[in-house]
This record gives sequence, C-alpha cells and structure tokens, in this order.
Amino acid sequence: MVCTQEVLIVDDNPADLNLAQEALARCKRQNKISSVTDGEQAVAFLFRRGAYINQLRPNLVILDLNLPKKDGRAVLEELKSDPDLRKIPVVIFSTSQASSDIVRSYQLGANCYVSKPVDLKAYFAALQSIEEFWFGLARLPQGEGE
Amino acid sequence: MSIGPTKTETAPVAKIHVLQVEDNPLDSELVQRELRRAGFDFTATVVQTRADFIREVEEHCPQIVLADYNLPQWRGMEALAVLEHENVDVPLILVTGALGEVTAVECLKKGATDYVLKGALARLPVAVHRALRERTLRLQRKMAEHELAQKVEELARSNKELEQFAYVASHDLQEPLRMVASYTQLLGERYKGKLDETADKYIDYAVEGAKRMQTLIQDLLAFSRAGRNRPAQSDVDCNVVMKDVLQNLASSIDESGAVIACDDLPVVAADRMQLTQLLQNLIGNAIKFRKDNTPLISVKVERLKVESARIEPIKIAPIKTELAKNESAKTEATKVEGARIEATKLEPAKLEATKPDTAKPEVVKTLPANGFWQFSVSDEGIGIAPEHLESIFSVFHRLNTRAEYPGNGIGLAISKKIVEQYGGTIWVESSPGQGSTFKFTLPAAIGQAKGASA
Repeated sequence: MVCTQEVLIVDDNPADLNLAQEALARCKRQNKISSVTDGEQAVAFLFRRGAYINQLRPNLVILDLNLPKKDGRAVLEELKSDPDLRKIPVVIFSTSQASSDIVRSYQLGANCYVSKPVDLKAYFAALQSIEEFWFGLARLPQGEGE
Repeated sequence: MSIGPTKTETAPVAKIHVLQVEDNPLDSELVQRELRRAGFDFTATVVQTRADFIREVEEHCPQIVLADYNLPQWRGMEALAVLEHENVDVPLILVTGALGEVTAVECLKKGATDYVLKGALARLPVAVHRALRERTLRLQRKMAEHELAQKVEELARSNKELEQFAYVASHDLQEPLRMVASYTQLLGERYKGKLDETADKYIDYAVEGAKRMQTLIQDLLAFSRAGRNRPAQSDVDCNVVMKDVLQNLASSIDESGAVIACDDLPVVAADRMQLTQLLQNLIGNAIKFRKDNTPLISVKVERLKVESARIEPIKIAPIKTELAKNESAKTEATKVEGARIEATKLEPAKLEATKPDTAKPEVVKTLPANGFWQFSVSDEGIGIAPEHLESIFSVFHRLNTRAEYPGNGIGLAISKKIVEQYGGTIWVESSPGQGSTFKFTLPAAIGQAKGASA
C-alpha cells in the first residue's frame, strides 16, 4: 500500500528550504512537503492552531535549531512534551556541529541529529537518506491525524 | 648587602618625608641635623604615640620611619606592626640608645631595615640612603611584576578572543557560503550547455572558488577547535590509534602503494581523537609529498629519559632507547603494504639507536612524571628546503602549488597545536629531495613508567 507521506520542514532560510525541497523532490517516493520559517509557526502548525487549524499532522519533522521567534530547541521540547505529537519523529537538521547542541537535542527527545553538509551533493544525499530511512525502512505509527 | 661609596649620600635625589618616632626633642633634632648635613632634602614629623603614628602614615605617606626603640607610651618596634597592617612599604630604621645585640637581631628579623645607635649617628645617612634605595628597587620590582602579570592576563584574553573569533567567524561564514556554493552548483547542474561556453566557465570558476573557501573555512574551524578545549588526557595505546589511521588512509595507501613500517608503539597520555589526527596528518603528508617511486614510510619511537627533559631550553641529546631487559625480546614492527598489515620481527638493535645527528634543540615545556616518548615519521619524499623547516608549521603555509599537491596548509599547524597541548614539541629534519623526518614528543602514559606496551 502506497500512501503519501507528509514532511514538515522548519527552516528560516528560504534558500535552505528550496534546497531541501529540491532534494526531497528527487526521491522516488512522492512526498507532500510543507514548510514554515520560524518556531512559532512550527508550533502552530503542529498543534493545529490559528491558520493551521485544518492542517494534517506530518509524518516527519525536519527541524533547524536556530530559528527566529521560537528557537528550534523550544519547538522540540514542546513537541516532545505532548503525549500525542511526541510520536512524530523529529530530525534535527542544523549547521551546528557543536556537541552541546547534539547532546541537548537528544536529551529533548530528537529522533536523530544530522549536521547540514556543506557540499551540495552531500546535502542532497543527507536529506535523501533521511527520507529513505524514515519512509522506506522504518515503520511509522499509522492513522495519525486522519 | 653592602653599599659602595655613593654620591647620593651627599646629594639625595628627591625630597623625602621622614616620620620620626621619638619622645626626646633633642634627639630628634640631632637626627635631623645629621640628615641635613648629609644633604638630604626632607621634611620631618615627630610623633610619640601609636594614634599619631597611624594618622601620619595614612595622611602623609612618609618615605621612611626613624623610630626610637623605647618610648614611654609606646615601643618603636610596634610601629612595624602598624606599617604591616596598613600594608605600606615604608622602611623603618631603629634609632636608639644602647641596644643589645640579641634585641637588635630580633628587630631586624621582625622587619626593621636597620638600626643606628644614637651615639653613632654619623652612620644614619648611609642607612637611610640604603633603605630608600632598597625600597625603590622593591617598588620597581613590584611594578614590573604587576605589569608582567597584566601582560600575561592580556595575552591569555586576546588569545582566547582570537580563538573565539576564529570559531565564530568560520562558523558564521560557512552559512552564506554554503548558499553561494550550493546554488552555483545547482545553476551549473541545471543550465550547463544551455548558456554559452563562457557562462559555463564562469559558473565553474564560481563553484571552484566557493568550494575552496569552504575547505579553508572548515580547516580554520578545525584549527581553532584544536586549541579550544583541551581534551582530557588519558592513556592511549598508539598501536590502536595507528590502526585507525591506516584505515582512514587506506585509499591513499592503496593508490600510492605506500609501504609503512611501524615500531611497536607505546601508550601515551593524550586524547585518542587528537592523536589519530596527528599521526594521520604526518603519514598522510608522507604519502602525499612523495616522489615518483613507491613511498616508504617508517614510524619509529624511542623513550626519552626523564632526566633529559628539563624545564630550560636544552638540546635533547641523542638518546638510546632503553629497552628494559624483560621486554626487549619481542619488539615487533608492523609493516603495512597497500592496505595489508603484516607483523614482522625486527631486531631490537634496529630500534635501539638513532643516528647521532638527530639531536634537535627544543624546549620541553612541562615535565610529565614519566617523561616523554619521541616519535618519528620518516619518508623518502620530496623533502623541504632548510628555510621552510620552521614556517611549515604555521597556518595556511603551503610550499607547493595547489595543482601539484592539493591542500590548504593547515595539517601541520593543527599537528603542532596538538603536540604542544600536551607539552610536547614537533619539528622536522629534512633536505630537498632527501625525504623528511617529522619528530614529535608526547608525555608517557600516566599509569605506565615502563617501555612500550606489549
């Protein structure tokens, strides 16, 4: 059974968003990709507040750490404190290679941490691996948000 | 301490303020007369009580105190305690009637600068002059020490700031650059052949430039990181590190057909990751800067005697590796051909001595309890001209064009930083066309005072 998976990408840099969309568009699966550009929007999106009231819950969140308004760490913490939303796997996708950021992210319940590769090919490959792992290999909880 | 004949005895330099502790007006007048006769330019205040003394010290900062030993209400020596308590550096000379030798010595011990008998006041100017001169010297030294401490602190701060700057700059620079590099690459990918040839070339240039800047920034980041937080020192088996290094370098070893002969390596007190980086840099360089033939690389190690490591700069004499009797038997060398690793037996004698001329003037900065190991990585590559032997360790220093040998010139700078973190030193012996031998020292393992681990 093939069902479209929905990915939420949270990144404040539109150029990065484009790159991520470009990378995911090249995957063999057709995924629905949504994006928001700050932490508050991300929380509103996930908790279906305001403009996002009719939003479907994503199957995967790709989250940058340094975000305006609400920091990625705070978004992660809020998400992982919610009994329902914590089921959604969150991939931290950040430029930071600082071990403090990595440790903190896992402490807050991140499902994995990937540093944004500097090289374009590696960047694409990283996102495609993420996509392949979560949607190709891993089994995800079903019936969420339907 | 003696003082020679001085002209200042007759002509003291600056006007001074003298605080006299004296109950006899005649005596204090005699003292002043003596000073005047010797040419001192001074003002004097006479006090008799502790309270007056404290007030005078606080308000008028005398340069010298001349105190009688016995006063009706007070003892001159107690003035010393006051000076100490006020934390002022003012010399005190006892000017007193008969004073037994024992008492005199006692007073000097307690901190009086000198004592002059009232019956021999002629000696007073000399004593005063000496006391003042010593005080000046003390003050100068104190100031110099203070300045030095300030400089050290400033240096440490600016060093830290610089590291922080390099880290932040390279980190923050990376972001926009990644965008430039990524999108020029995307442009190239998508529009190659659709524009004219010049456009393709320009895109290539832009991509190349951005990519190179990326590696430069990453190297800078790596360099600044190498010095930031000193990793915890633990006992690291260099044989294990070597295995990692060979694995990491497997493709270039394979490609070049490099043969690496390696001593049995010791356990040292360092960080495993950093050690891997260090050996990988040196062996990687040995492979990279090869001549046309198959690169032959040897990694050797010898124990430096503890007593050969001094705090002062010294020449480390050529030292024979002292193989303890009970462990000399099985000195193995690991030989690597291609990606294959095979162990061969080496004669202990081969390890025992280095050539007599390998001594190198180097500073051993700290003195680890168990002394140092000296490593050497030798190749038969292109070698280095004498004028570059030191400068190759500085950041972004390259001797060859990028086309000949790729790289940014950061590896040796990082290597130096790593070695120096552990109090070791790194240097190179080489001449053009004759190959190079990089040597470095690392502190021996904390829990191990013996030779190489079996």
